[in-house]
Amino acid sequence: MLRIIKQICIGGIAGCLLLAAPGAWGMDAQDCAECHLDTSIIEEGGRYLYIDPGQYNRSAHSEEGCPTCHISVSDDHPEDGVRPSRALCNSCHDSVAEEYAACNHAANADCTECHNPHQVKSIKTVSGFDMNGMCIECHDPKEVSGTHGVWLPQAQLHIEALPCITCHTGSENYVITFYIEKFEKRAGTATKLQLATFADLKAIAPAGKVEHLIDTNADGIINLAELKAFNSSSNKQGLKLKGMMTPQDASHTYSTLDNRWDCTFCHASGPSAMQISFVAIPDGQGTYMQIEVEPGAVLDAINGTPDFYMVGATRNKTLSYVGLIIVVAGLLMPIGHGSLRLLTMKNRKEEE
Amino acid sequence: MRIKEKIYLTPTPIRIWHWLNAFGIITLCVTGAEIRFPEFVHIFGNFKAVVRVHNAAGIVVALSFALWFIYYAFVARTLIKIYVPTVTDIRKGLIRQALYYFFYFFLGSKPNPHHQTPENKFNPLQKSAYMAMMLILTPIVIITGIFLMNVTPLRNFVLGIGALKVLVEVHWLLACSFCAFLFAHFYLATLGHTPFAHFIPMWTGWEEIEPNAHDEDATEEPKAAA
Repeated sequence: MLRIIKQICIGGIAGCLLLAAPGAWGMDAQDCAECHLDTSIIEEGGRYLYIDPGQYNRSAHSEEGCPTCHISVSDDHPEDGVRPSRALCNSCHDSVAEEYAACNHAANADCTECHNPHQVKSIKTVSGFDMNGMCIECHDPKEVSGTHGVWLPQAQLHIEALPCITCHTGSENYVITFYIEKFEKRAGTATKLQLATFADLKAIAPAGKVEHLIDTNADGIINLAELKAFNSSSNKQGLKLKGMMTPQDASHTYSTLDNRWDCTFCHASGPSAMQISFVAIPDGQGTYMQIEVEPGAVLDAINGTPDFYMVGATRNKTLSYVGLIIVVAGLLMPIGHGSLRLLTMKNRKEEE
Repeated sequence: MRIKEKIYLTPTPIRIWHWLNAFGIITLCVTGAEIRFPEFVHIFGNFKAVVRVHNAAGIVVALSFALWFIYYAFVARTLIKIYVPTVTDIRKGLIRQALYYFFYFFLGSKPNPHHQTPENKFNPLQKSAYMAMMLILTPIVIITGIFLMNVTPLRNFVLGIGALKVLVEVHWLLACSFCAFLFAHFYLATLGHTPFAHFIPMWTGWEEIEPNAHDEDATEEPKAAA
């Protein structure tokens, strides 16, 4: 009896190993890399076979390894002529896929048309400009500006100042993300504004630590005083803070929430409403590291960055008071003079 | 009984400019307050409408300013004569007029030292205030407004002059000065021989004057006033 049970067990294990052979005995990521990270594969089989190592290593999928998605690769690949299987995105991202399937985009583009699986990055590691880069693939910027201009004042300014997904999102809230721009001054006029690269910042950063340009006490969080100090001194270094409102959560609905049609959602919230912010600093690998800023009225604290001013929310508190004093002074003159005029009315009547 | 005569003091283009300017600036002040303090000021309710009304009023004020400038500088050619204070105005006239408004007016002991003529419409205080408003503040507030309405195409210029935060705050402080000026201007306009004496000519063009009025500025230094 025991002998029969032992034979059944051995047979079962062997059967399982055979069934699992394509995955268990197939190539590992290192084997894949030998060919697919080499540009010569482009000539041999086509560009789609080449995986850019720089992009792939920075992608959120790099930690998974090739066989996680391409499970059918055999030891005989590619001689066996069998095209490896590809995992479906919803195998892992089922909730995202469900959300996306319900939106208008689903009929026009599948996941990989926006997200190259070998380059995909987390929303926190890309700039707002990169986010829009995906949208521009299908949506012509001129057309977008035209359609928004029908109803949106300063449409082009809005489009340049925001990632599309700040409004076309299911994310209820937004945060402010600051990027660092560099500029070259020519004849007193700032020209050639562009995002500062890691190399630009490293050249002027203390001990080469770019994050310490702003986070001067190196505690991993930027307090409002540090942000204010950088904002004040950055002009001398040819740098400017560029603020962008980015969605707080990644969303794939691409719908426009009702409140986004209402200008007051952003513009009437006042300086104290925007409490959550980050500074995104290039990390030297083509992506960004987000450093948290101490919660607080960040735009109020830094009086608006040079290149970011949100009407109705960004304003200088001191100058607001100065302006109000001017108005009150203008009002006091008629009140004071008018009161004396009433009290001395008799004098003028006597003169007449 | 005093005999009064009428003079044609304010030509039609200037009256058109004045009322466009007046209602335009009032609109700009109210909408501007809602744009800057939207969480406190709720007059129009719809922020987009407020912005559009503000922009439209700004354009009206800019065009009316152009009308005013073209008329006085190129048609009547009296811009400098009417709006720029003379040396005598600065040395004596300002003090004399201020003394009248803030001292003799209450005592009722002296008449207004200035009497209007089409060539010498404004007293030295008016000249100084209007020159500052019309030749300095108005052009600056219009230019900053144009920049703010066209940030994208004028981005390099905007950044060159200190970026949006500078532009906005200059625009704000000038707007407050206009608002303060409005209060004082409206009140001082009631200081004629009747409370509406200065309002009517700004509508009809004709101002009632006393024929034997003695203009101290004109008699002391007629060349300067000419």
